[in-house]
Parts: sequence; structure tokens; C-alpha cells
Amino acid sequence: MSLQDILLQQLANGLILGSFYALVALGYTMVYGIIKLLNFAHGDLYMIGAFCGFLVLSLISAVVGDSWAGLLCSMVLSMIAVGLLGVLIQRIAYQPMLAAPRLSILITALAVSMILSNSVMAFTDGEFLAFSTDLGFDGVELGNVFVTYTQIVLVAAAAILMVALYLFVHKTLYGKAMRAISIDKDACRLMGINVNKIIALTFFIGTSLAAAAGIMAGSYYGSIHFFMGFVIGLKAFTAAVIGGIGSIPGAMLGGLLLGLLESYGTQIPFIGTEWKDVFSFGILILLLVFKPTGILGQTEIERM
Amino acid sequence: MKKSLFMSSVGTALAGMFLLGQVAIAADLKIGIMVPTTGSEATAGKDMENAIKLAAEEINKAGGIMGMNIVTMTGDDACDPQQATAAATKLVSAEVAAVVGGYCSGATLPTLKIYGDANVPFVIAASNSTKLIDANQGNAFQINSTGFDQVATAIELFKGQGVEKLAIIHQGDGYSEDLAKLTREKWSGMGKEVVAYEVVNKGEQDHSALATRIRSKAPDAIFWTAYYADGALVIKQLRQAGYRNLIAVGDGSNSPKLLEIGGKATEGVFCFSNPTVDYLPAAKAFHANYKKAFDQEPDAYAPLSYDGMKLLADAIKRAGSTDKDAIIKALAATGSFEGIAGPISFTEQNTLARSNFVTLVAKDGKWILAE
Repeated sequence: MSLQDILLQQLANGLILGSFYALVALGYTMVYGIIKLLNFAHGDLYMIGAFCGFLVLSLISAVVGDSWAGLLCSMVLSMIAVGLLGVLIQRIAYQPMLAAPRLSILITALAVSMILSNSVMAFTDGEFLAFSTDLGFDGVELGNVFVTYTQIVLVAAAAILMVALYLFVHKTLYGKAMRAISIDKDACRLMGINVNKIIALTFFIGTSLAAAAGIMAGSYYGSIHFFMGFVIGLKAFTAAVIGGIGSIPGAMLGGLLLGLLESYGTQIPFIGTEWKDVFSFGILILLLVFKPTGILGQTEIERM
Repeated sequence: MKKSLFMSSVGTALAGMFLLGQVAIAADLKIGIMVPTTGSEATAGKDMENAIKLAAEEINKAGGIMGMNIVTMTGDDACDPQQATAAATKLVSAEVAAVVGGYCSGATLPTLKIYGDANVPFVIAASNSTKLIDANQGNAFQINSTGFDQVATAIELFKGQGVEKLAIIHQGDGYSEDLAKLTREKWSGMGKEVVAYEVVNKGEQDHSALATRIRSKAPDAIFWTAYYADGALVIKQLRQAGYRNLIAVGDGSNSPKLLEIGGKATEGVFCFSNPTVDYLPAAKAFHANYKKAFDQEPDAYAPLSYDGMKLLADAIKRAGSTDKDAIIKALAATGSFEGIAGPISFTEQNTLARSNFVTLVAKDGKWILAE
């Protein structure tokens, strides 16, 4: 492979990885935008999404098969189910804490994260499960750069979800209400917006996006595990911060950027893959030193 | 303690039955078995005890050793250094002619002094820490390969497959990094090239960037030294990235789960494994006899334990006496003992002269013996 081929292949790798990060980062950023909560349980909802998709697929694969049709059905069903779980968590664990200090709700989120991952651990005995689908290895070859159809479909699906979200937030009344609440909750109440309903809707959308990413990752990588949400949760949080937490286009941009940083970080000559995380997180620190709000974040004005 | 008493009385009863059957035999030959029969490793220990007893029974049926009947006596080391010391003292004061066993290296280690001081021949069937080598006073013999002997088996495979450029991937933990490092040293020591030496974070799912990096170095073979769960993902993504050459994995990945998670991508992958009955052609009869006698499948170290007892009997026969020095001399001089887990002969340090790792290959979603 020539250097040009390697750089192009790593571009493709980075975009695929980045679109997973972006999908998960969107949930972080939406929840933060609307109730200023860093939802640390978000990575675990991604994991629950993967398990839910696995369960649904094994139930319906007899009828629709375990190829694209089956995967799409299980994805839609699990997005709804896990989305509702997200709303439930918000109602039980976060709603009563909204008036409490920010630290209390943050710790509640950590507790939710542990409850979710340890429950799945108890159910699965901590075993890795094989998420076997019938997607195959076929793909297109552009010179020396190889991309499978699965990868293309996954990136396209992620892009469609992100565009749909963008349109929803910016072109519908619900989206307008969401944006309004993130600016001033009390004023929204006075304007007759049902704030609790919109917060629930935000959780539903954010969580179902994480679930979608979970199913896509589970079927793409081929194995699921109760701890799979941890690393990606951290990375997606990082992506959200890079893009500017609270900003939806920022999360998309941050996810893609982190994916690219990681795949190019692997390729730095002379040093091995050990240094790839040092590279990408080093850039994160530099970015935050010079632009603490992230790429698309806005400086918050605190009124005293 | 109760259990081991029970076991030894069962052993005595068995021997008694043989005595009744074969009137001519007069003397008994007492052989000690040191394994954990209680505690966390009890399953493995009892499995070893079964295999040793099975071997003793077969030897007795064939006329014993020089007319003597083998009587076994079990000391329970409980996989604990203190308990092991007590068990060894018990066996030594019962004046056993020799000892077979040793499962947990940590428990076997302090007993080497006790057996050494009493000059009791000790065939170590499973424990394989390299620390045992230094504590050995010359009377103990290790018939299991040390973990890193698999480097030799791996290199043999790569050489046989005409590999020139090797890529090694590990996970940064003690076990997989040591194995990777040792393989790299040996391989470059042979004047061949290690084109990539990479590490993968535990729990990371996406390895496509690594796959591209490795593919760009065009290795003839890739050696994954870590565990199956992440290994399956790495292999899958290497194949997805268009890598078509040889892939081998260490014994940490010796699991059917690797093939289940990796699916079609793992077809043709090589793997190194301890000599378990499933992969030993010579162990067929042993497998059947074991199942018949104990109504269960033999576990990982049953073949080696069986070989240990048979080797001891062979050495006593060659020594022509039950004198301890003579037995130790005969053990050290073992030339070509054909065990069910392969031939046994010893290095100057009394360790197994060859690597007893077997090479497996994935075929139709199952591990089979490679040839």
C-alpha cells in the first residue's frame, strides 16, 4: 500500500468509527443542553441497546432472517424500547433531582450507570455473546482502499439519523420548544410549553440514538458484552466536549473528528499503537486550553 | 482431611482387591499423590488424582512393578502453600517411594524443599512456573512445558509455513506482553523481521485503524498473544481490511468463543493449546477408560498426570530397585518415554526437553489438530 492509500483507508476507518461516536455523543449533548446533566448512564444505554437488539433479532430472525431486514426491524423496535427506558430513568431518577444541586444529579447518573451495567452482567454471567448476523464481507475496492457494504450502510444510517435529528430540532415546533427550554426553562413554562413533556421527548430521542449505535456496533463488530458501553461512553463524552457540549452539530463534528484523530493517531510513524490515545487526548487538552467551549460551543453568560 | 483419608482408604481397598486376585504378589509400593482435593482448585486436583489412580490400576493389572503392587496415598495441598507443606510432610513421613502431582505452582514451590531434603523422587505433572526450576534440588522432574514454551511451538509453525515477516499484537497485560516480547526476541534472534509490534486496549471494539496499519506493513503472519474476546474482534477486522495471510493466536485465545464471535473470519486461524485429550491421538484409549472408570470427561491435566505415574513406573523398572537415588537417576536418564501426551525426556534442569503445546487450526467453526 502506498502512503496515499494508507491515508485514504484511515480516512474511511476514521469516518466509520467517528459516526458511532457522533451518534452516542448526540445523546450526551442533547441531555446536557436541556437539563445541564452529564448523563453518565448514556454509555450503558448504548450497551442496553445492543443487548435489546440482540434479543429482538433472535426472536424475530425466524420470520425475517438475520440479514438487513431483520436488523432494521430489531433496530426500530429496540430504539423505541430503549428510548422508553431512557424516559423511565429520567422520570424515576432524574426528575426528582432537578431542583437539587448539580452534583447530586451527577452522582445519580453514575448510580444509574452501575445499576444498568451490573444488571446485564448478572444476567449474562459477564460472558461475551456472539452477535452473529448474515452481513458478509463483500465490499467495494477503490484502488487499494477497501470498504465493505456493511460499513457504507452503517455510515449512511448514522448520517440519516443525524440529518433527521437536525431537521427535527430546527424545523418542527417540538424542536423549537427544545431549543427554547435549553435557553430558559421558566420562561418556557410561562409561554405554555409543557416542559416535562419536552424533557421526556429529549431523553427518548437521545437514548434511542444511543440504542441505534449500540445495535449497529453489536452487529458490525459481532460481539456484545456488559462493559461495552464504558469505553465508548468516555469517548463519546470526549467527542461532545470537543464539539462544544450542548451543541447538536458540535456533537456530530466532534464525533467525526475524534474518530479521525484516533485512526490517524495509529499511523504515526515509529511509535506504535500504544500512543494512539495519548495522541488524541493530547489534542483534546490543547483544544480545550485554547477554546474551552469546544469548536461550536457558545460561551455561557452567567448572571449574578 | 476427611476426604483424603477416605480417598486413600478407597485406594487401599482397591489394592486389597487386587491382592486377593493375585496371590503371588506380596509387597506393596507406596506412591504419594499431591494434588488439591479441596478448595477452589479441587475439580482439577481430583481429575489429576483420578488419572494417576487409573494409571496405577493399569500397572497393577499388568503385574505391578517388579512384582510389587502400587498403593497410592493422597496428600491434599488445597492449592495453598501452607497446606501443601503439611501434605508433603505427611507423604514423606509415610515413607512413600515417590510422589506424582503438583497442580498450583505456588503450592508446589515450598514442597520442593521437603521432598528435596528427604530425597524423594517427585514427578511434577502440571505446575509449570519457571520459579520451580531454581528451587529444585535435583529430585523433581517437570513433565509439563512452561508457558513460554509455546513460543517454540509458534516459531516452529511460522518457520514451517515459510513466514519471513511477522506482526505481533498483545494487550499490555503481563501474560500477553511477555509472550509477545519473547516471540519478538526469538524471531529477530533468528535474523528474521518483526514488521509490527502493536498493542490493543482492553475492551476497545474498533481495530480498523490497527488493521490498516498492519496491512500496510504486509506481514506473512500475525501472532495475537492475548485473549479470545478481543482477539475475535481483531481477527475479524484484519480479515475485513483485506489481510489474507496466516493468523495464529496464543493459548489465552484457546476457546470455542473465539470461533463463535469471529465467525467465518476465524476459519483457518492457528491456535496453541495444552495437551488435552481432545487433541491427543494417543490418548483415545485413556479417554475411554477414564470415562468408564469415573463417569466424567477427563480435564486439562489428566493426560499429563497419567503420563507422570506411567513414567515413574517406567523409571523404577529401569532402576531395578526402589532405592530413591536409583529412581532419580533413572528419571533423569529417561531417553524416549512415549506418553499419551507425547514423548518425555528432560533437560539438565529436569524440565521437559520439548514444548508439549499442540497446534490447532479452526475448521468449520471448530478447533481441530493441525497437521
